[in-house]
Amino acid sequence: MKNRYKPIKYIKRVAFSNKLDSIISLTIISFGLVFLISLVKWVIFSANWNVVRLNLPLFFFGSFPNDQLWRPGLWISLFAILSFTTLWGPPWSWLRKNLPLLWVSFAPIGVFLLAGGCGLSPVESRNWGGLTLTILLTSCSAIISLPLGIALALGRQSALPVVKKLSSIYIDTMRSVPLIAVLFFGQLLIPLFLPVGLEINRVCRAIIAFTLFVSAYIAEDVRGGLQSIPRTQQEAGEVLGLHPFQITYLIILPQALRIALPSLTNQAVGLLQNTSLMAILGLVELLGIGRSILANPEFIGRYIEVYIWLAAIYWVICTVMALIARHLEQQMSLEKKDL
Amino acid sequence: MPPIVKATNLTKSYSKGILALDNVSISVEPGEVLVVMGPSGSGKSTLIRTFNGLETFDSGQLNILGISLDCQNNEERKIRRIRKRVGMVFQQFNLFPHLSILENITLAPIKVQKKKRDDAEQNALILLSQMGIASHAKKYPSQLSGGEQQRVAIARALALKPELLLFDEPTSALDPERVNEVLDAMRRLATQGMSMVVVTHEINFAKEVGDRILFMDSGKVIETSTPDIFFLNAKHERSRKFLNQIKKK
Ligand SMILES: Nc1ncnc2c1ncn2[C@@H]1O[C@H](COP(=O)(O)OP(=O)(O)O)[C@@H](O)[C@H]1O
Ligand SMILES: [Mg+2]
Repeated sequence: MKNRYKPIKYIKRVAFSNKLDSIISLTIISFGLVFLISLVKWVIFSANWNVVRLNLPLFFFGSFPNDQLWRPGLWISLFAILSFTTLWGPPWSWLRKNLPLLWVSFAPIGVFLLAGGCGLSPVESRNWGGLTLTILLTSCSAIISLPLGIALALGRQSALPVVKKLSSIYIDTMRSVPLIAVLFFGQLLIPLFLPVGLEINRVCRAIIAFTLFVSAYIAEDVRGGLQSIPRTQQEAGEVLGLHPFQITYLIILPQALRIALPSLTNQAVGLLQNTSLMAILGLVELLGIGRSILANPEFIGRYIEVYIWLAAIYWVICTVMALIARHLEQQMSLEKKDL
Repeated sequence: MPPIVKATNLTKSYSKGILALDNVSISVEPGEVLVVMGPSGSGKSTLIRTFNGLETFDSGQLNILGISLDCQNNEERKIRRIRKRVGMVFQQFNLFPHLSILENITLAPIKVQKKKRDDAEQNALILLSQMGIASHAKKYPSQLSGGEQQRVAIARALALKPELLLFDEPTSALDPERVNEVLDAMRRLATQGMSMVVVTHEINFAKEVGDRILFMDSGKVIETSTPDIFFLNAKHERSRKFLNQIKKK
C-alpha cells in the first residue's frame, strides 16, 4: 500500500537494488521495449485491420441471420453486464444474493436466445458461431460438468463399493484419454450409438464431449477439497443428529468447494481455451470463424492480424473469468477472515 | 426414574488383542455428573463415544435414554434418535468454520428439529448470552479464542435441548488462562441439573462438580467412587498412582 505512493522508490527497490539486479533489469526492459516498439509500429503502420473491421459481426455472432443479430448481441451484453456488476457493482445485498442465480441461468438463457422457440424464430445450430458459440460451449459445458464432477467426487468416496468403483473407473479413464479423442468420439461415434431417427446436433455433441471430459477433472479437484476436510467435521455433524446427506451438502461440500475453487477456476479457463479445438472438428467458434475468414481470397495472408485479434478476445474473456474467480475467493475468505 | 445411561459388560477392541473397553459397566442417573478419569489411551473417549453411536462395541448391553443399542449393527435412524437427545462437546471444538457463530448454533435446530429460523436464532442468542459471548454472534469461529470457541460448541450442543451432555476433554486444547471460563459454564449447567459425562483431567472441577468419579485404565473400570473418597482415599493402588502423577504437573 505504502509503495503505491512512491513508485520511483518502489521500482528502485524491486529492480535496481544492486548492480547485478540493475543489469538484468535493464536487459529485460530493453528487450521488452524493442519488441513493444516494433509491435506497435506494425500494428499502426503495416497491419491492415480491414480483415477484422469488415468481419466484426462474423467474429462475434457467426452467420446468425442478420435480422436476428440482437439475440446473440443481447446475450453477450448480458455476459458483459453480469461480469461488470459482479466485479464492480454496488454491494446491495439483494443484488449480491441473486447474482449467482443469474450466472447459473446464463447458459440456459443463451440456449433459448440462440435456438429460439417460444415466440422467437428458430435458428439452426449450424448458423451459430464466433464468440457467441465459444461462450455457449464454455458456459453450457461448465454448468453441466460442475454438478456432475461433484457427484463423481462424492461417488468416489461413497461407502457403496459399486458406486465407488464405477466413479473411479470413469474418472481414471477420462483422465487418461486426450481431449481431442473425446471430442472426435463426440462428433463421430455418438451418432452411431443413438437409435435411428434420434439426432443430436453438433453443438450439443460437442457440449456432451466437453462435459464428459471436464467433469472427470472437476471430480479430482473436488476430491482434493473433500479430503482436506478433517473427519472431525463429519463427526460434529453426526453428533447433532444431522442426516448424512445434510452433513455432506451443509458442512463438507461448502468447505471442500472453497478449497477447490482455485483449481476449478483453472478448469474453467482451460475449458474456454479448449473449445478452440472444435475448429478442427468443423465448428465455427471463435478460432473456426478466424480460419474460415482467412480462407476467403479477399483476406488472403492476413494471418497475423486475425490471430492477434483472436488472442486479444481470448485474453479479455480469460482475464474476466480470472477476476471473477478472484472476487469469489475474496468473498469467501471474507466470511472467515482471520483477525 | 430409569438411568440415563446403562452400560453392562461393554467390550470393544479396535485391533485384535488390545481391548479399548474391557467389560465396562456403568450407569448415569438423571441429573448426575459423572467424571471419567484415567491415563491417556485408557479408553475414556471410546467409552463416551459409544454413548452416542460414534463408536460401536463388540459385546455387552448399552441403553441410552431408554433406547437400547445393539453391538455392531444399529439402524442409522435409531442412532440419530439418540443423537438428537444427547449433546457432545469435543476437545478440538469442531465448530463449522464456514458458518457464523449464530449459524453454527442454529444449524441443527433448523435442519434437524425443523424449527423456524427466527425461533432458533432467538434461542441461540439466549444461549450465547448465558455463555457470555452474545456479542460474537455475527463473527466466524476463526475470529474467536479457543475458550470462546469451546463455549460456542457448548451452546451448539445445548441448542437441541439435550437430556445428556458428553464432554471429551473439553479444556485440554485450551491455554491455561482460558480453562476456567469453560469450566464455569459447565459448572452452571451442572447446577441447573443437566446430566453430564465429563472426561477431564481437571481435579478441582472433578472434586467440586462431579457426583461420581469413574477411573479407567487399559479399558477396565478400576474404581467408581465419590470425589471425596477418590481424591483423599482412593481404593486402588493404580488410582493413587495416577493421582500422584497428575498432581505433580
Ligand atoms: N480409531 C482407532 N483405531 C484404532 N485404535 C484406536 C482408535 N481409537 C482409539 N484406539 C485405541 O484404543 C485405546 C483407547 O483409546 P481412547 O479411547 O482414545 O483412550 P483415551 O481417550 O482414554 O485416551 C488406545 O489404545 C487407542 O490407541
Ligand atoms: Mg481421549
